[in-house]
Amino acid sequence: MFDLINPSRIFYWIEKLIKFINSIFFVLLIIALTFALILSPPDYLQGDSVRIMYVHVPSAWIGLASFTVIALLSILSFIFKIKNLNLITKSIAPIGLLFTCLAIITGSLWGQPTWGTWWAWDARITSMLVLSIFYILFILAHKLIEKEDKAIKVSNLIAVIGLINIPVIRYSVDWWNTLHQPSSIKIDGTSSIHSSMLMPLMLMLLVLLLYCALILLMKYKTEIIRIKKKNIKRI
Amino acid sequence: MIQNFISMNGYGLFVWLSFAITFLACGIVYYKTYKTLKKYEKDFAKELSQLSEVERKLVLKKSKVASQFLASYNKSI
Repeated sequence: MFDLINPSRIFYWIEKLIKFINSIFFVLLIIALTFALILSPPDYLQGDSVRIMYVHVPSAWIGLASFTVIALLSILSFIFKIKNLNLITKSIAPIGLLFTCLAIITGSLWGQPTWGTWWAWDARITSMLVLSIFYILFILAHKLIEKEDKAIKVSNLIAVIGLINIPVIRYSVDWWNTLHQPSSIKIDGTSSIHSSMLMPLMLMLLVLLLYCALILLMKYKTEIIRIKKKNIKRI
Repeated sequence: MIQNFISMNGYGLFVWLSFAITFLACGIVYYKTYKTLKKYEKDFAKELSQLSEVERKLVLKKSKVASQFLASYNKSI
């Protein structure tokens, strides 16, 4: 199964996928922005400030999902000793850090008009800050440790320890009294968000996911070329 | 109507700033990633071209990625 992510197998497809995403990205972006900024209604309580949700919520989801994927791939890489998985985790980490930071910044911009403060040391916000620290440590482990094997071991360990923080973020609004509101969207279908707001949210999520895929593919391709370049002399 | 759209009933600064920061940050990351990829592609192609004919044939025979890379790189330039 892991042979499917073998660089020699997917290198050709990376190029094709990058071209495909580039071709549809801007059309989808314009549609999503039209819904988010013009067609979706203002909230009865928060007014137009609710539109920040369309960048804040997908950013937070991507930040959380990216770290979960990194941690799971790190565990798989540790068990099955597949070096290729480390190239993928290394490529995902900057994307996850970007979106975690964006979730914190846009959350702060949303907090000021709704709560009257830019920042509060509440459980959800603090645990998101902790997540960004784990991302920074993961990236620094790859940048600062020269021996690749050691860098991989340390970064995998950071990812596994950081995984503990994911359920803390997810359930922080249920476990503690927080300024942050509880989840409006639930996988079990009991969402409390109206479809006129859910649709733009899903469209923005799709656009940002496509962007993530684009960056991931470019970074993964860069990593493959870097390794092949290093190996030329050996061949 | 346009003024209403820009001011967002008083929340314009927060809404526009959120979207601007998000797309600006995404744009910067895209640009940096693209530049790095192009730099590595150029360096790799240069290194392959500096090999002797025999060495290059051996590399391309042994590495499927190198041969695929060279085919797509030659097409793009």
